This record gives sequence, structure tokens and C-alpha cells, in this order.
Amino acid sequence: MLPLPRFSWEAPDRLPDLVRLAAEPGARLVAGGTDLLPSMKHRIFRPGTLVSTRRVPELRTLRVGADHSLSLGAALSLRELARHAEVRTHFPSLALALGSVATPTIQGMATLGGNLMLDTRCMYYNQPSGWRAALGGCLKCEGTLCHVAPRGAGCYAAHSADTVPVLMLLGATAVFATPNGELPIAVGELYPEDGREGPRCPPGAVLVRVEVPAPQRAVAFRKLRQRAAIDYGLLLTAVAPTPEGWEAVISAVAPQPIRVAAPTREALADAVHKAVQPLPTHQQASTWRKRMLRVEVARALASLPA
Amino acid sequence: MSVRQPTPVPDPIGSYGAKIDGRERISGAALFVADLKLPRMVHAKFVRSTRAHARIVRIHLDAALAIPGVVGHCVGEELPRRYGVIPVAQDETALAVGKVRYIGEPVVCIAALDPETAHRACEAVRVEYEDIEAILTIEAALDPARPTIHEYARKPSNILRRVHQNYGNVDAGFAEAAVVLEENFDYPGSTHVALESHAALARVEPDGKLTLWSSTQNPHYVHRDVARVLGLRDQDVRLIKPAVGAGYGGKCDPFCSDICASHLARKLGRPVRIVLEREEVFLAHRGRHPTRMWLKMGFSAEGRITAVDFKAWADGGAYASYGVVTSYYLGVFMPLPYQLENYRFESHRLYTNKPPCGPKRGHGAIQPRFALEVLLDRAAGRLGLDPAAMRRDNCVEANSETCNGLRVTSVGIQACIDAVVQASGYTERRGKLGPGRGLGIATSAYMCGALHPIYQNEMPHSTVQIKIDRSGEVVVYSGTADVGQGSNHMLAGLVAHRLGLHPADIRVLEGDTSLTPVDLGSYSSRVTFMAGNAALLAVNPLRERIVAAVAEKLGCDPAEVSFGRPGHADRGDGPRVGTDTSDVSWVDAVWLAEEKSGPLVNAGGYTPPKIGSRFRRQSVGPSPAYSFTAQVAEVVVDEETGMVAVERIWVAHDCGRVLNLAVVEGQIEGCVYMGVGEALCEEQRYLPGGLIRAPSILEYKLPTVHESPEVTVFAIESHDPEGPLGAKEAGEGPQLSTVPAIANAIFDASGVWLHQPPFTPERVLRALDARARGGPP
Repeated sequence: MLPLPRFSWEAPDRLPDLVRLAAEPGARLVAGGTDLLPSMKHRIFRPGTLVSTRRVPELRTLRVGADHSLSLGAALSLRELARHAEVRTHFPSLALALGSVATPTIQGMATLGGNLMLDTRCMYYNQPSGWRAALGGCLKCEGTLCHVAPRGAGCYAAHSADTVPVLMLLGATAVFATPNGELPIAVGELYPEDGREGPRCPPGAVLVRVEVPAPQRAVAFRKLRQRAAIDYGLLLTAVAPTPEGWEAVISAVAPQPIRVAAPTREALADAVHKAVQPLPTHQQASTWRKRMLRVEVARALASLPA
Repeated sequence: MSVRQPTPVPDPIGSYGAKIDGRERISGAALFVADLKLPRMVHAKFVRSTRAHARIVRIHLDAALAIPGVVGHCVGEELPRRYGVIPVAQDETALAVGKVRYIGEPVVCIAALDPETAHRACEAVRVEYEDIEAILTIEAALDPARPTIHEYARKPSNILRRVHQNYGNVDAGFAEAAVVLEENFDYPGSTHVALESHAALARVEPDGKLTLWSSTQNPHYVHRDVARVLGLRDQDVRLIKPAVGAGYGGKCDPFCSDICASHLARKLGRPVRIVLEREEVFLAHRGRHPTRMWLKMGFSAEGRITAVDFKAWADGGAYASYGVVTSYYLGVFMPLPYQLENYRFESHRLYTNKPPCGPKRGHGAIQPRFALEVLLDRAAGRLGLDPAAMRRDNCVEANSETCNGLRVTSVGIQACIDAVVQASGYTERRGKLGPGRGLGIATSAYMCGALHPIYQNEMPHSTVQIKIDRSGEVVVYSGTADVGQGSNHMLAGLVAHRLGLHPADIRVLEGDTSLTPVDLGSYSSRVTFMAGNAALLAVNPLRERIVAAVAEKLGCDPAEVSFGRPGHADRGDGPRVGTDTSDVSWVDAVWLAEEKSGPLVNAGGYTPPKIGSRFRRQSVGPSPAYSFTAQVAEVVVDEETGMVAVERIWVAHDCGRVLNLAVVEGQIEGCVYMGVGEALCEEQRYLPGGLIRAPSILEYKLPTVHESPEVTVFAIESHDPEGPLGAKEAGEGPQLSTVPAIANAIFDASGVWLHQPPFTPERVLRALDARARGGPP
């Protein structure tokens, strides 16, 4: 087994302490650790201190509004959220997305906040340190060349958080705690254009909760993957009607989820196919993933009421 | 209160009884190498090559050795003696000496007080390389103008072995054929992914002798090679195989972990443990050879096979491993299970700058079986014949000889075909399931151990010793390696059967070179046949001595004495030994026998029969018996995505005789699941420079429970005349026909032939596109 690098451990039980400790040099937040710890074993990250979010009550609170709006603590596990009656009844697409992450055992450990703040992924990046050394590193880590697009302008590591496309179409907001008070950011605004950066967390801020407004429209979600469990998505597709027509959010194809709109149901698949270009960030052929864009959008639409 | 009715001890043979070591496995109590801790033990890890093919110019160790907690290291020059299980191809060293031959090859081994420090120290080592042109493809390996990866041969080249054999008159066979088909096939490389990674723990005993605990399938060969490399006498090395978390062929070689742990334990004077990381297991590899094949077959109008011509090029990676054997296995099993008169093959096993390939379940026979079974279905289509009936008509018969001189004894292939055809409704349903759903059939045959040993000798291939103690305890000592396949239960079952005891009453001590007599190891599906026979040879004389003593005591005819008799109503269950009118308890029977004829200890050794062959060169391939399999797959093809779902497999396997039904079914199911993985998703792939693409079980795709079909198993009993109680193998052969059955089912579902597993969505779509454009299917 790959040994973890050495680190020290903090597990505060008050939110101000969490915000303070997270801002210290060399510190990194850990929630479920299901993605962070493998990356640490790969020596992608070598934090001096891990600061656990799990004992802070504000991050473990789930509130349901009279209008069925949700306030979901960032440290709640994917499993408890996916099984929650309100989520299942009023946000079935979110329940589906939560339940599509990895495996049931990992869902029991992994958290909503961890999923939102998931680092971008790439087959040249999520590898053990010895492998990356043989490759000479990449633009995102230890190197100067992007192996996905050597002549490209930046890093194309893919946004891979299963819950985000659905949360974007549900109009969800991520609420951060900072030393100067709360800072809300729309979920769709969290992800920068360049894959090197990972999710945007304002300096000194900690994601406390995700607010989902009252359900307004049906959202459909699909996760394309080679196996029906364990795998990260090859395409993440969420679709929903809008007042002007239809829209889709596609992810696992670029550092940012891509939002595409079309005037009609029929035009949406073509619009997505035109707007989205999967790159060889994954082990599976990007030509096939490109072709599957139309299929996934069509199947997502078909799962919605006409 | 009712008096419990005593019952006879049930015969374990053929039953569904729980494995004797099942409970320790499922409860987590079994001790694997990674569980073993010794006082003052240190942990070692490897610095691995970042180059595919390069001379080592200099190794800078100072920074690593200065790290607090680092206690020692070793480099290749300390262990220069080459080793390898196959005597004619010993080309490996535990650490690279002078040059590296693949990315990931071990170069330095560093020991530290804990694994994290050892890992950090390895990262601090800097190695200067001078690159040599890397050989990464079959074409490059065949090009004599390219650099050679090894220099040890008399005429260095990147062809480790070329085998060419010719039987009958192939050209005449094609001339008389009504239909001749030929096709190119590409079978991918894949790896074993045993749950437990390779691991070793070594300790120098106070008397200077070495004890090595190793996660291995082959204690005997690892024992020999470790002694050889370290310059020790074999007798001064003790190799112990603790519980092993599976091998599938991946633990048949000695590994860097075995040799470096042993060497460092002697160098440092303290125990050294090495547990390979999962990434390193992918680099240790020894998996399926990626194989390019060309196959040509001729058929009569009635579907009889008139000739087979076959060529194969196996991309073997940087070291030989079992590659010489692979080159033979690629060709020699082709004349089973069908009658062939005219057959020739030419195979090449090549060196390339990639992790070494070796034996993986169905070693060498998987690839040609895929090609042959697919071409057979295509021929059936061309001739308008039912593929199952056509196969049935071509089957070999019992007590026959193949064109290449394999002696065939028991044959259950026709019963296998009948079982799966009937259960699946193949005849009625094939071609009628509508677009996207289809059925496919394939058959196969495999060996039950090799007739000839790997290194030249006339000794038994397996020896089993049995001690029956006056306490009544029966201990079986065997050099076999139970790696989860159930050989311990097999031995216990056979001995319990002969002595009228429960298998759980038999203690099996195995895989310890100082404690147990030699067995050659868990490879080539040899253990049930060979160790099973040795166990019977060991127990039978002991049984006779107990019979004689009990008959004398009871004053009866020895022929009347039976074992496993029920107890008496007032004293509970047996086992007892005696007759219908009088008997003694098992323990009393043991006392009587020991008093009458001395210690109840006996050994039996199994040596395969000397079977003459018309072909002197046929030394690799002949087996004392062959197993047979037929299976039908039902698949669903999503023609929009290209995704294939295997919904059901019906598999019938002729295992000679069922010794334990749970183990036989489990082995057959395991074969099928491994075959489904190779059919749908498994492939060990490399970047163009030779760097492995996906050394993790996140990205190396094994089927999950969702991708695993419902499997219906039929165990067919052909009662082999030489197998232990008639038994043959069940743990390897059933995998051979899974992939072609799925390929043939995909054709039935969607009208396309696929010649390259795994049948990934993009490959399926490409074939469907070609069909849509009007190309050949």
C-alpha cells in the first residue's frame, strides 16, 4: 500500500477555529478524504496539516424550508443526503447524482462539500509520483507540458464532481465562512477556466453549506461511465427546461462545467455536440465521448416528462 | 427427550461442504505476509526506472541515505546472478544491473524503519541514464537492425523463442476444403489483479540460515532461485507460504521483493519486509501476452475441419518469465477439443521494453482459442450449419491421440455442449432474439499439469506425507500452495474420504519447504491431479494398516471393515471403524494400528506416466489428462453507445469428477468472470514511450458486480482413469471459451465480428459503422 506522507491533524469543533486553522500556512481542509488521501498518497499534495471539517456543527446541519428549499451542511455525507426523504422526493436528480459517486461505501465517507471542491482530474495527473516522474510531470504538477493538448493554452484537467451539473441547474449557491462573515457564490461560478487551479475558494474561506432554492423545474441527470459503479464520469449531463427553451450542463470534459442552451428540445443535443469538445484527459477514447454527447443529452431529455 | 440418531460420516466427495479454511478467510483471521511482524523488522521499497531502455550511468544515493530512519540499501551489482524459473531463459536480476529494460524496473532497494521513510528515501535517489532506443512494438522486436534488449543468448535478438510445428498435410487439407477462411486477430495484454499484492518477509535465523515468507504460488521455484541468487545452499533456505490472496499466474515467478528482502535481511542483520504497492503489482505484471495472430482454417461442406494454419507473435515485455512455455502453449492445445489431422503453427515470443508478461490463467491458450472459436462460427455461418452441432460433430473421442501426439483419455466435451445448448435454448433462440440481443457458443480444452517437469529430473512432481497421531489427528504435509483455489480442501477431502472422517478433521500443513515435501507449485492446473494422486498414494497404505489391525481385533475379514461408521445411540456420532456387528472408535483404531505395525506415517509421490510420443520435440504441452468446457453467452448490445452487457453465461466443464462442488463451481465462476473482464474492459495499455497507462484498480477496468453476468454452472463428470478418484482440473480451462462465446454472441446480436478484445464501446461502434457502410461484417 502506498504510505501517506506525514502530516499533523486538527479537528476543531467550532466554525471560527476551523476558518482560522484552515488559513494557516501548509494547512488543507479534509472532509471525507476519499479524494484527498489518494492524491496525498500519490504525492500530488503534501499538506503539513489536515484540518477536519467533520466536528463543526454548522457543516453538519440540514435544514428544509417550508417551500422545500434545502440548506445542506458541507460535511454531510453523500449517502445521508441521497437517502434523505426531502431530497429524494423534491430533488430526485440530485439524489441520483449523489448516489452515482464512486461506490456506496465511499458515499458513506465522502461529503457534499468535498464533492463541490473536488480537484480537476486528468489521466496524466492522477498518477503515483514515480509515474509522473517517468513522464516528466505535466502542466498541472511538476512539469511544463500539457500532455492532453501540448500546443494548447493551459491545463485541461476535467471538472469531475458528479453533483455539480444538477446543482447548477437547480440554482444552488455555495456559502463560505470567512473571517469577515459569510460569502455566497453561485455553484456555477466556483470553477475557473484553467484546470491547474481547481475550485475557487476565496482566501481564508471555508465552504459551510449549499443552499438549494425551492424546486422550480424538473432536472434530469446522467453519468456516462464504463462500469456502473466506482468510476468517475466520462460525461456528466444535466438537462432542464428554461422559460426560453432548454438547457444542459455538461461536465467531465473541461475544467469548467459547460452550460449550453437551445430553443427547442430537439436542438439541444446538436447544440451540446457543437459546443463541447472532450479531450483525451481520460483513458477512454475522446472520439467516442464526443459521439456520446448527443446520446446522453437525448437520453436525459427522454427521462423528463414531455 | 429423543435420542439423537447417529449417522454415518458423510462422504465429502461431490458434496457442497464448506472449505476447511473458508472461515479463516472470511473472518479476516488468516495471516498474509503483510500481517506478519517480527522484532526489529524494517521496511524496504524500490527506486524504479523512469526510462524504457537505458544504460545506468550513475546512481546518486547520498541524499537518500542521509535521511534519518534509513537503515540500508542494495543495488543490482550486489545480486548479479541471473535467475528465472525456466532454465533455458534465466535473464532476470532482482535489481537492474548496468541497464534498465522497462519503465518501472527496480533499480535500488532502500530499507528504513517505516514504509513512509523508505518511500521518501527512494524519491531522494537520483539515477543518471543514457538512453538506448526502446523496442516497444512487435514490428520493432522483429527488426534485426534494432538494438537487442538482452545479450545473453549466443545470437542475441529480440526473439526469445520461435516454435514451428507441422502435422499431417496442411496444404492438402486446404485443397480438399469446401470453405477456407482466414483472419487476423489481436488479443490484448491484461493482468491478474490478485487482491493481495506481492509481499516478502525475510529473517536470518541464529544459525545463519534464511527464512523467507513469500506470497507465492510456487514455493519450490522461489526457494531454488532465492538460494541460487544469494549463493546459499538450497537446504539453508526455508521458504514459507502463508495465506495468499490469490495469484492467477501472477505469483509464479520469484520477484524482486523475495530476493531483496532476503539479501537485505542478511546484509542488515534484521528482518526485512517488502509489500509491493498496487502500482508496483502492475509493473511486476507477468500477465497475458498481447498477441497478434493470423489464422486460416479449411472446412468440408459438412463442417469437418480439414486444415488449420496458425501464426502468432506474442509481445512478451522485457524478461522471459515463462515465455518459452508461452510460445508452445500458443500452439499445442489447438488440436483439442476438435479432431484435426492437418495442423501447423508458428509462434514467436518477443522481447520488448515493457513490464514482463508471463502466465495468466489459461496461459498462452486463451488467445488462439479466441481466434479459432470465432473463425469456427464464421465458417458455420458460411456453411449454413448450426455452430453448436458443427462443434459437436468435430469433437475428439475418449482414448484417442491428437495429430500432435497428445494422449487423450477421458472426454466429456459432448456432454458439456449438450448441457449448455439445452439450458440456454441455443438451438431455438439463436438468431431470433431480435436486434441487439444474441447468443454465442464456444468450447475449449485445457491441461491438468505438465507431463514433463520444468527442470530436467525424474523425481515425483508432487509428494504428500501423512501422519496419523495416536490422538486421532490426521496431518497432511504437502508442498502445494493454496492461494485461495481450494487445494487444501481438496487434499483434506480426499484423505477424509479414505479414512471416513470429516474434512475439517484433517489438518493440512502446506507450502513450507522445510516442513513439507516438494510439490512443484500452483501452475498449469496441476495440483488436483498431481497432489491429489500423491495424497491417495500416501493415505491408502495407512488405511490398509488400520483395516488389518481392526480386523484382527474384531476377528473379522478385512474386506468387511469400513470407515466413517455411525456412533452408538447412547454415545453420539462416530466416526467408527469396523463392521455391521462390531466396531471401534476412530482413535482406538489408530491405537490398534500403531501397536500392530508402528508409526502411522507414510508418503506418496506422484510421477506422471511415461507416455511415448511420435514427436520427440513435443515436450511442452502433453498432460496426463485434459479438461473440456463449453459455454453459451447471452449479450445485449446497445447500438447507440456500443456498450455490451453480458447478461448470462451457461458453462459446462468436464472436471472428471467433482471432489467438492462448491469449490468446482467457484473456480468455474471465477474463470467466467475473468473472461468477461477480458472480453469487455480489461487491457494493460502503454503510452507510446512505454509508460503504463493505468497502474491502478480505479483505471484498470475490472468488471464490478453490475457487469458480472448470472452464471449457470454444470459440472460434467467423465471419470478420468488416472485422476484422483477420476478428477481433473477446474480452475483454468473454463476461462478459455468465455471471450469467444461473447464475441459470437455479439455477432448474433448485431451482425458484426470483432477480432480484437476487449469489446469496448468504441470498437463495437466502429464495427457497426463499417456494417452500416456496407462493408464486411
